Amino acid sequence: MSPVRRFLSTPEAVAGTILLTALIAMALSASLLFPGDPQAIAGPALLPPFQDWSLPLGTDRLGRDVLAELFHGARTSLAVGLAAAAAALAVGSVVGTLAGFAGGLVDEVLMRITDAFQTVPSFLLALAFVSVVGPSLGIVVIAIALGTWTGPARVARAEVLSIRERDYVASARAIGMHPLAIAFREVLPNALPPVLAMSSVIVAAAILTEAALSFLGLGDPNRVTWGGMIAEGRAVLRTAPFLSIVPGIALVLTVLGVYLAGEGIVETTAVRRGLS
Amino acid sequence: MSLLTISNLTKRYRRGGKTIAAVDDVSFHIDPGETLALAGPSGSGKSTIARLVLRLIESDAGRIEFEGNDFLALGGAALRARRARLQMVFQDPLAAFNPRATVARMLDDPLRIHGIASRAERPRRIAALLERVGLTTDLAPRAIHEISGGQRQRVAIARAIATKPSLIVLDEAVSALDVSVRGQILELLLDLQRQEQIAYLFISHDLGVVRAIAHRVVLLEAGQLAESGDAHAVIDAPQSAIGKALVAAAPRLNRTRP
Amino acid sequence: MTALASLRDLTVTYRRDGNEVAALRRINLDIVAGERLAIIGESGSGKSTLALAIAGLLPRSARIEGRIDWFLPSSGAKSPPSVLPDISPSRGEIGSSTAGSPIASSAIGETRNEGAISPLEGEMSGRTEGGAKDRQPSTIARDYKPLGGRDIGFVFQDPSASLDPVMAVGKQIAEVARTHLGLTWPQAYAKAKSLLERVRLPDPDSALQSFPHQLSGGQKQRVAIAAAIAASPKLLIADEATSALDTIVQAEIVALIRRLVAEDGMTLLFISHDIALAAELAERIAVFRHGELLELGTTAQIVGAPTQAYTRTLLDAHIGLDAAPLLSRAGLNA
Repeated sequence: MSPVRRFLSTPEAVAGTILLTALIAMALSASLLFPGDPQAIAGPALLPPFQDWSLPLGTDRLGRDVLAELFHGARTSLAVGLAAAAAALAVGSVVGTLAGFAGGLVDEVLMRITDAFQTVPSFLLALAFVSVVGPSLGIVVIAIALGTWTGPARVARAEVLSIRERDYVASARAIGMHPLAIAFREVLPNALPPVLAMSSVIVAAAILTEAALSFLGLGDPNRVTWGGMIAEGRAVLRTAPFLSIVPGIALVLTVLGVYLAGEGIVETTAVRRGLS
Repeated sequence: MSLLTISNLTKRYRRGGKTIAAVDDVSFHIDPGETLALAGPSGSGKSTIARLVLRLIESDAGRIEFEGNDFLALGGAALRARRARLQMVFQDPLAAFNPRATVARMLDDPLRIHGIASRAERPRRIAALLERVGLTTDLAPRAIHEISGGQRQRVAIARAIATKPSLIVLDEAVSALDVSVRGQILELLLDLQRQEQIAYLFISHDLGVVRAIAHRVVLLEAGQLAESGDAHAVIDAPQSAIGKALVAAAPRLNRTRP
Repeated sequence: MTALASLRDLTVTYRRDGNEVAALRRINLDIVAGERLAIIGESGSGKSTLALAIAGLLPRSARIEGRIDWFLPSSGAKSPPSVLPDISPSRGEIGSSTAGSPIASSAIGETRNEGAISPLEGEMSGRTEGGAKDRQPSTIARDYKPLGGRDIGFVFQDPSASLDPVMAVGKQIAEVARTHLGLTWPQAYAKAKSLLERVRLPDPDSALQSFPHQLSGGQKQRVAIAAAIAASPKLLIADEATSALDTIVQAEIVALIRRLVAEDGMTLLFISHDIALAAELAERIAVFRHGELLELGTTAQIVGAPTQAYTRTLLDAHIGLDAAPLLSRAGLNA
């Protein structure tokens, strides 16, 4: 059975894939379907959903098109979630590999730094970082990665500690390979599978953190974000609850989709490794 | 002059507060083009000696002289460069290769690291190495886990001879192979020795194989040298207690007809 | 001679990436009660699959066809019919009337597990994945099913993998005795102590309390053997039980197995890649290759007058202490 077919043989993976595909389609088609500024006024304020079919999900307090905002917000959520997770996984794997492979003082220093980051709640860290440096998309990505790289670092280190005792590492040393080449050519690629297995949780957490930062007004002010939309709707929660509910549902479905698809991938690779 | 001289080599481990000498004051030498076997039961220290000689682990005391130089004094780039002359083949060829690697990449590594061949020339050199160990060149793009155990051990030997070493440490290199494959690998090793004058440090618990392939043998027990000498002389009439026990324990095949 | 078990047209197929791989093909073999039978072959010969099939320990992903009939006199099963040992592998047609009735193929799905014995692992021998998890219960024709542990003792290649690392060895042995013999814990511990004495473990009293990591490889294998024989099984299966051990310990374990089998009147199935070792221990030898039974005979016949070229190849490949040297010893000194 091909990996793709095996992946699609579990209902979770199918559901996750459908949700993620819809999200990516939204993000990619945002500027095609809704050209122009999504933050521009498009109609009367506080129009409820399903009243005017040119504004299917209604408008917010300032008369902005909720559907357009939703599509452009998908773009921000996805971009920040993926970028922050990629940064966290990359930094974590490199730090974990160096610590585990070098051992001794290098390991001690790197792991104490990891401890320091882990003792501060990651959301507080992101909050403090954005407050000090100022909100922009890149800063939000860095802020989220700051709090999440420690998990991948610990997993990578544990894996590297077991891999560095294997014969093929001894064999690479015996042919005279440079220690850094051994660490990044021989050890790291084989330590990655369990680290990558964490990626779905990290992406999901990053999307939620981004939403939370935006909700608190610390997102990039020039971009539409789902967290910002929920915050917007909060003031009129009693009279126009849909303004908070619609982006809220989008957020839940996105996180669910990322998680389910990630689980499906982990399951597929685990089955493959179990077989060989 | 001998190729490798080991003097008073000692390696201690701490285990549960006690210090145990895995290798205890062992001395021996290997001449160019010679096969010296290290034999002994498990825990006798033979694999530890292999790793000490290759400097995969560091010794606590003693000297290792290789090709006339103090091998223990080398470090960093100088040690890595010298490793070209001293290679190793492991027991389990599957464990000794990066699980993601292809045959070609495993043979490319030594050629690249030691600057033996330019990038353009390497595919031809890899093909020549594969042919030298009795494999076809179409194996090069295959993944290591796709080929058979015997083929894998041939690739391991090709990787070891790529840098034209003067000594190869063979750590139980034929023990895990099927008997029908084992004979072919031993023939290949002997052929390489005849053609290229490579010396072998042959580590094995199988006295039958040691007697068939080695010039001299060193018997070890609990990290200490128990007996050494001509392989036939020692195995045909062992003097030490461990030598007698090893000979007595070897399975015998009585092939007289019923 | 009476048969203990009789295999008829036994075929075992593994599924691997959607392909079916036959690990055993139409095996006809009688295991004679009280004999020491060696199964020898190289990797991919199906010898370990045979051991697992007889013990009912095949993974669920395996499909089994043919039949295994058991004749266990003391267990109240019907008295053994007069079955003469079928020692000719060419008599496959005898069982053909039953070949279409798979004995254990029902409800075997595609469940995969890591304990699967792979026949495609190359030429590495002496390596048996013998995890004891998620096994398929033995389904045997006739009315009686042998029970692993009680009727069949199984010794795996790697004792560190077959013993529980966080349970004292005394408890592991006592548990077998308690489960199958219905003993109380104190009785089971007494039995465990006497078993450790029987397998000649030094200082059995303190050994009862020790954990596997505190024992050497040979001592662990002695413990595994003690656990295997705790319920006085009729059949002891040793699957490459000495392959991970050095020559001296191997000889001791072989001597131990020989003595225990003789004292208890057990039948021994000794699976090995080493024809010389098998010849020292067994009365009969079955030679397997590529999942087929090539040749079966007394040890003297197989070693002295093999009929198959492959058996001769195996015998010739043995490098004994009297073998002609491969090395031209004059070469170096000249």
